[in-house]
Amino acid sequence: MKFHLHVGVIEAESEQALNEALTIARCEARVLARLAPNVAVLERGDTQLVIAALRELGLHPKVMQ
Amino acid sequence: MKGAATDQGRGYRAGELDFLSVAEAVIERQPRVLKNGLPNLAFFRAANANLAQPDDEAQGHGFAQVEFWLTLARELGLTATDGDRLAITDAADEFFAQPLAARRDRLREAFLGARSLNDFALVGDLELPGLRKSGTVDTTTDAPGPEALAAARRRVLEFVLACAGETRVARLCQQVQREAPSFAIDHSDDGSWRRVFYRGIRERGGREEIERDGGWDRVEGAYIRWLVSLPFARLGWVDYDPARDAFEPLTTEDGDPIFEIVVQPNFEVLVLGDRLDAGTLWRLARFARPAMQGRVRRYMLEKKSFTDALGRGLSAGAILELLSSLSRRPLPQNVRFSLEEWSASSERMKIWPDALLVEAEGVDDLAALLPEAARRALGLARIGGGHMAAVAPDAALLRQHVPPRRAILDYSRRLPPAITPQGDLRLHAPAESLHLRARQTLELVARRQGADHWLLDPALTRAAATALGPDELRRRVEEALTRPLEQAHALALRAWSGEFAPAFAGSAEVFLCDSDEQAMLLEQVPEFAAWLDRKLGRGAYLLRHGGAAAVRKLLAGCGVTLRDHTRTDSQGRRP
Repeated sequence: MKFHLHVGVIEAESEQALNEALTIARCEARVLARLAPNVAVLERGDTQLVIAALRELGLHPKVMQ
Repeated sequence: MKGAATDQGRGYRAGELDFLSVAEAVIERQPRVLKNGLPNLAFFRAANANLAQPDDEAQGHGFAQVEFWLTLARELGLTATDGDRLAITDAADEFFAQPLAARRDRLREAFLGARSLNDFALVGDLELPGLRKSGTVDTTTDAPGPEALAAARRRVLEFVLACAGETRVARLCQQVQREAPSFAIDHSDDGSWRRVFYRGIRERGGREEIERDGGWDRVEGAYIRWLVSLPFARLGWVDYDPARDAFEPLTTEDGDPIFEIVVQPNFEVLVLGDRLDAGTLWRLARFARPAMQGRVRRYMLEKKSFTDALGRGLSAGAILELLSSLSRRPLPQNVRFSLEEWSASSERMKIWPDALLVEAEGVDDLAALLPEAARRALGLARIGGGHMAAVAPDAALLRQHVPPRRAILDYSRRLPPAITPQGDLRLHAPAESLHLRARQTLELVARRQGADHWLLDPALTRAAATALGPDELRRRVEEALTRPLEQAHALALRAWSGEFAPAFAGSAEVFLCDSDEQAMLLEQVPEFAAWLDRKLGRGAYLLRHGGAAAVRKLLAGCGVTLRDHTRTDSQGRRP
């Protein structure tokens, strides 16, 4: 068990949806880890890029705050 | 003025709606905070336009009401700077969740004790040249400091509350001047033979400071008028009538709220009623974008604000229930359907932009390893792969709930190097100390060779450098290593990443001479320059293919014989 604080986490419905989101934001190469096929860990700044890219396309993920 | 407390424009309830409007403007605009700590002018204009009785910008008094409410919000911790923008905090939700009386008491106390509110700077008739609004008081001014202001507010409030029935503000000023002339500014030295001025205080537009003799009503009187007309009236201590410039202490309660909402098929939510409840409207503002239209309070149901609310923990069911409970008529079908659909679609992708991630390693069962109380306190939710995530908690709270001897890897800082080069292309990276950044770096440039062992790989490095750029890749590798790679391996890594273009080793045709003067003369010979590929250094030239024979022939024509070996002693002989 490891505690990672201040990281960005994305959990998608499917691996394909996650890949698409990362591709849209051009963040595929910036993923810190894929903990599961549908779960990616990124730096916080990169996660904001994903959110912004999705919103630009009219997609609104659930942003946990 | 009887019954004025229940009037839409008077009493605490009306004042609180102005406070709500300013807070809603913060939600709507998320204004950029300038160097002076205040939001930009566009925000002030927008927030001012939403007030019940906006300040007139053309009068040059600024936006005293917006600044007043904004300062109270900051004093209560309801707003905070997030990066370079002003944002609402969780404390705002807690504030508006309280009953009306509790909210009123907190706002009143915040005003009476406010240290960051410079009242004199907000008085429309006065001007404090060289003094920042809402800032600390300069030592060269007679305007009271934070402590003196707090005492002055309470002193005037005592006088106000002691008044029975309707009282003109002018009469209150006379009474305060008679009984407590130095309630804000010391006047003990005013009676001397010399002329004394209010230092640093002018009438608006005036060129000179106000003289103390005869100036009390223009300074302290103006301040008292401001206190009565804005803080005391809007925070519900008095009912103030601007037409008569008179007030009456308020004793009646604000009464129960009476209002309803109309949810339109175009996703507009209109609020109708005489006595609105700021607490309920705040709940609306947290999932529907506030969009005031004149005096009409209007909220727009939009996907972004709705999904943001879901991310803060609200449920679609609770939102629909609130809308239904406030509306007399059933919600339009298309609105209900859309809200449910937005909720379902947002569940397809959840993003924690600043998270605590608890990673389950191997066969770890986090539900068994982490006590239920800790999971609940940290707000941990199970995600794919058996891991858990939560919004990043306060470090102290996290430390309370993390089992002893468990390291917390904080990615807001530089993490310790976790990869050790083995003297060749092999890397040692123990899994127990490997953080995600180091793991990512390893996966970018190396292949796993065993549980803790990796091998640098040219193909992977090349692909990673293409995606990230060679400089960024090298930075990451160097940051993750406990010690530098050996020179040859560092050279290899940088060559694989494309940082260095491929080098050449092999036979080539060169021209060498030992005298600078000889070299200079040769460079000016066009036939020689025609065979020159590039100059390698002083007296050293790389020739194009066939150049050696051509140059030799050229110089032989001049009677110059070339040597056939590269190294010479000082006399030009083969060593």
